[in-house]
Amino acid sequence: MLLYNLRIALLSLKRNWILSAVIVGGIALGIAVSTMFATTRHVFARNPIPQKSDVLYYVRLDSWDPQRPYPGDDPSRPPTQITYRDMVEIMKSDIPLRQSAMFRSNLYVFPDPKVGRPQKTMVRLCFADFFPMFDVPFKYGSGWDKKADAGPEPVVVLSAEENDLLFGGTNSVGKTIRMEDRELRVVGVLDVWRPTVRFYDVTANFFQAPEPIFMPFNFLRPMKLRTFGNSDGWGPSPSIPGFEGRLVGESCWIQMWVELPTREKRQAYEDFLAAYVMEQKKAGRFPRPLNNRVTPVMAWMKEQKVVPQEATAMMIVSLLFLAVCALNLMGLLLGKFLARAPEIGVRRALGARRFDIFVQHVVECELVGLMGGVIGMALALGGLVWMNNWMKTVTQRGDVFRMDAPMAALSVALSLIAGLIAGVYPAWRVCRIAPAVHLKVQ
Amino acid sequence: MLEMKDIKKVYRTDLVETHALAEFSLRVGSGEFVAIMGPSGSGKTTFLNVAGLLDTFDEGRYWLDGEDVSRLSDDQMSRIRNRKIGFIFQSFNLIPDLDVFDNVDVPLRYRALPAADRRARIEKALELVGLSSRARHLPSQLSGGQQQRVAIARVLAGDPRLILADEPTGNLDSLMTREIMDLLERINEQGTTIVMVTHSPECAARAHRQIHLLDGKVVDLEGRPAPMARPELAPSLG
Repeated sequence: MLLYNLRIALLSLKRNWILSAVIVGGIALGIAVSTMFATTRHVFARNPIPQKSDVLYYVRLDSWDPQRPYPGDDPSRPPTQITYRDMVEIMKSDIPLRQSAMFRSNLYVFPDPKVGRPQKTMVRLCFADFFPMFDVPFKYGSGWDKKADAGPEPVVVLSAEENDLLFGGTNSVGKTIRMEDRELRVVGVLDVWRPTVRFYDVTANFFQAPEPIFMPFNFLRPMKLRTFGNSDGWGPSPSIPGFEGRLVGESCWIQMWVELPTREKRQAYEDFLAAYVMEQKKAGRFPRPLNNRVTPVMAWMKEQKVVPQEATAMMIVSLLFLAVCALNLMGLLLGKFLARAPEIGVRRALGARRFDIFVQHVVECELVGLMGGVIGMALALGGLVWMNNWMKTVTQRGDVFRMDAPMAALSVALSLIAGLIAGVYPAWRVCRIAPAVHLKVQ
Repeated sequence: MLEMKDIKKVYRTDLVETHALAEFSLRVGSGEFVAIMGPSGSGKTTFLNVAGLLDTFDEGRYWLDGEDVSRLSDDQMSRIRNRKIGFIFQSFNLIPDLDVFDNVDVPLRYRALPAADRRARIEKALELVGLSSRARHLPSQLSGGQQQRVAIARVLAGDPRLILADEPTGNLDSLMTREIMDLLERINEQGTTIVMVTHSPECAARAHRQIHLLDGKVVDLEGRPAPMARPELAPSLG
C-alpha cells in the first residue's frame, strides 16, 4: 500500500507541478538553512576521536596565583596549561598507558632551493606517545621512539601536505630537512589527518589544521624554543634570567595528555597528581587549594567552549525558520488537498477508510518533504562550500565544514518532520470529508 | 437484501429543516432489479446515500444483507461499502489521473488482496465490459459510454452483493444508454441486486420493479403512500 500511495502522491505532484514546486521549494529552503547551521554546530560539537575519547584525559594543575582567579568565567578553574617544571615531574609517572606533553612553536624550514624559499612553519613539539595516543594515521614510516625523546634525536614527522610540499609526495622517510640551524631526519609521513577541531590543543585557534611538522619535545632546551600558543603566568620574575628562567617560573604554556584505560588507572593517576601537588605545597608552591583536573576529551572541549554559543543560537533560529516554512506551506497543502475532495469522495465511496485517506495524504506530504530535503541538502552543501571558502580566508583551512552521515540523516529526519508539520492538519481535514457531498460534483 | 424501516433523514441549517426522507420504508429482495423514480428533491439521492452507507440517518432501522447497519462506525461502513456495495454514478466518477486498469483497481486496493488476485479480477472485469484493449487509457481518452463501462468494471471487480446506480445513463446518448442497460441486465441475471435511480421511463421499464418517491416517501403512481412503504406488506424476494 505504501508503494501505491507513493505512486498516487507522484501523480498528484505532477498534476499541479507549479504548486508542487512552490511547496517543495519552501521545504528545500528551510532544510538548506537548518542543515547548514546544524552542520556548522555539529562540526564543533562532534567527538573528534570517538574510539578513545573516554580514555584520553587532559591534565591540569592549579599552580595559579592565590590572590586572583585564573581568567575566565569560572573562578574555580585551574589554568588551562601547566608549567614546564610540573610537566617534567609528572611525565615521570608510569601510571598512564601513554602520555605526552606538548606545545607548538613556529620555526624556519629550509626546503630544497628548487622547491621553495625558507619559511616559518608551525611545529608541534611532543613526545613519542603522541602518535599512538591520538591514533594518528601514517602513510610512510612511523613516529619516533622513546629513545628519540630522551636524546633528543634529530627526527621529525611530516604531515601529508608538508611532505607534498617538500618532497613532492614521495616516501621521504630517511631524508633530511633543515629546520632553523639543524638537520632533522624524516622518520614518518602522516596520512591525511584533518580533525575538524584540533582537539589535542583547544587552548587557542582550534579550527586550524594539525601542524605540518612534529618533532621531539626535548628540542625545547637545545634550540631554546618559545611557544607560539597561549602562555599565562604570575608571580615574581624568576631568579634565573633568560630562557632557563622561563622554564623554572610559574608560566603555564604546556598542554598535557594522558591515556588511562581503566577507572583504577585514572584514580591512581589522580592520587599521584594530588601527592605531587601536596609535596610541592611543602616547598611553598601551589598556594591555592588542591584543584587538579583530569578531564576527558569531550568534557574538556565543552569546558573550553569549542562549540560557540553563536553556532547553537543560529541552529535554533534556523530550526524555527524551518518550522515557519512548514507552517506556511500548510495552507498551500490544505488548498491542494481540498481541491481534490471529489476524488476523495470517490475513494471513500469505494471503501477507503478515513485512515486510508489520511495515510495517503501524509505519504504525499512526506514525499514533498523528502524532495525538499534532497534539494535542501544540495543547497546546504553549496552553502558549506561557501562557508569553507570564507573560513579559508580566516584560518587558511578550507575543509572545516563537512556534512557527515549523521548530519545527512538529520537532514532527512528534518525533511520528514517538516513534511509532517506541513501536512498532518491538511491530511486530517481531508480525511474528514463526507463522501456523499462530493460525489455529485465529481 | 436491503430493508429500511421508518427511516428519517433531516438536513438542518440555522434557518430551515429539510425532511429528505420521512418514515421511509423499503424492502428490496436479493437478486432484484429495482428502479427508483421521482422528481428532483423527492429524496432519491438521499436514499442512495443512506442505502450506500455514504450518509447517516436520524431515525429508523436499516438492514443490509441480513445485517443491521443502522449504527455503525465510520470504519465499519467503509468496510461494508468496500465488500458488499458497488456504486455507479451519473458522472462516472473515475479518477482522472489513473488509467482504466488503476481505476478498476481502486476498491480492490482497500481490500488487501494479493497483487495477482487483483490483476485477475481487473482483467476479468474489463473483459466483461469489453474494454480489455483500453486498460492503459486515461478516462479523458474514452467516450462517455466507455467511461461508464469502466465504472461498471470497477463495480464488477469488487464482486458486490448490491449495486447502487445513480442515473447511470443520465449523461449518455440513446445508443450508449442501451448498451449500459444491457450490461446492467446481464449483471443482474448473474444474481447481483441492483437499485437504480433514474429519470428515464425507458430505463425504469427494464427493471423488475419501479418505486416512486415523493417528498421523501414511497408513493404509488397517484402520489399516495404506497403499500411498498410498509415493509410488512411488501413481497419478500430475499
